[in-house]
Amino acid sequence: MLRKRIIFTLIHSQGFFMQSRNFRLQKVGNLNWLEKNYQFQKIAFSLDELIVLDATKTQKSITEFAAIISNLVTHVFIPIAAGGGIRSFEDAELLFNSGADKIVLNSVLVEDVHLVKRLIQNYGSQSIVASIDYKYNQGVCDVYIHDGNTKIDLSLEEYIQYVESLHIGEIYLNSIDRDGTGFGYDFDTIQRIEKNLKVPLIIAGGAGNENHLLEGLSSIDVSAVATANLFNFIGDGLPKAREKILESGENLANWNLLY
Amino acid sequence: MKIVIVDYGMGNIKSLVSTLQYLGADDVLLSSEYDILKSADKIILPGVGSFAKAMSQIKQKKLDVSLQDIIVKHKKPLLGICLGMQLLGRSSSEDGQNAGLGFVKGDVVKFDNSNLKVPHVGFNQVKINSNLKLYAGFSNAVDFYFTHSYKMVTDEVINQSYCDYGGDFVASFETGHIAGVQFHPELSQHNGLNLFRNFIDRF
Repeated sequence: MLRKRIIFTLIHSQGFFMQSRNFRLQKVGNLNWLEKNYQFQKIAFSLDELIVLDATKTQKSITEFAAIISNLVTHVFIPIAAGGGIRSFEDAELLFNSGADKIVLNSVLVEDVHLVKRLIQNYGSQSIVASIDYKYNQGVCDVYIHDGNTKIDLSLEEYIQYVESLHIGEIYLNSIDRDGTGFGYDFDTIQRIEKNLKVPLIIAGGAGNENHLLEGLSSIDVSAVATANLFNFIGDGLPKAREKILESGENLANWNLLY
Repeated sequence: MKIVIVDYGMGNIKSLVSTLQYLGADDVLLSSEYDILKSADKIILPGVGSFAKAMSQIKQKKLDVSLQDIIVKHKKPLLGICLGMQLLGRSSSEDGQNAGLGFVKGDVVKFDNSNLKVPHVGFNQVKINSNLKLYAGFSNAVDFYFTHSYKMVTDEVINQSYCDYGGDFVASFETGHIAGVQFHPELSQHNGLNLFRNFIDRF
């Protein structure tokens, strides 16, 4: 049986990893800090996948970001998806060559369909994750691009249909309202859209403890749960969460064979 | 131990190189040159991307001819990974009908069950036979990481191992010195490290 996945999302900006709350960024530490506090290579053994996003608000530098990815991937034997600021074929190529197994696209899904198609033709659908940011304004669910700054004209349902029609491989659905709050995932929205999806769904925004992850995993049409909450899962928080979730009988992969 | 990864300009090979080095392979090279491939102890055919594009790059670099000589004639051990496994088959229906390297009688087709989410992404259990060289030391069902929309079908008996996604599909095969895995051992934690160890030690 296909297993469900636990994904950690690292939010990067200008050499530092960030805690994001409703898309406002707070600096936490650099790669050394991450290594010291997370012993990342060890922690990676309790993750199914890693997503690294460059959320720099000003001019993003894809070469600096690619260097961070390249450092991060050494001796981490899990899939890594990277994105944030991909605007050209060369940007994507650089991330793939720096160790990304998949790339995450957001704004270009709206602004450069030709690029999206070219990337899919070269790297295949399974290498492309479509990141969708949304939030509610007076009860209406709006979709945003440009790091949550620009609202687009389609409803969430329409937009999901649209990105699926581009033949992307997976959807990373992120609630701006829940982002970094630790209040749990936005199940009202997730339950509304999950049934009709043709591609795997990764949910993000709101997870603050292992019960939230578990709640997400038990949702039938959710393929993966993601958290970017560095504070709540610091130290051995993640390995312990995975252990508890496995004990509860949830359908996660086993790597108990020691190497 | 000299391991040469076939370079046809596609996909992320960084995690593959990093994995092999972690396992202590002292000489890991990326090349498309006949002489270098010929000098390898083991060859790995990686691959991410579309079948049609990959075959056109392989032909452009005359790798079809080199590999036929080195793998089929001189029986150098080969492991194909993901698209690299599919390329070892006869044909694929991805982007029209395209011929593969034809080292095994496999044909590559899309997952067609409309109830399934495609691509097939994540860890899934491979039903293994620990008498096979690839799976020595493993017990019955092992989690490996998959990410693909196409699968190989074959009538040939090539020691297939299966995985279930809307029905059984070929997760791996091994026939003599040639093996292929649909999953990514380099992205499969300890299970993947053990599989590479087997390929290095037993092929």
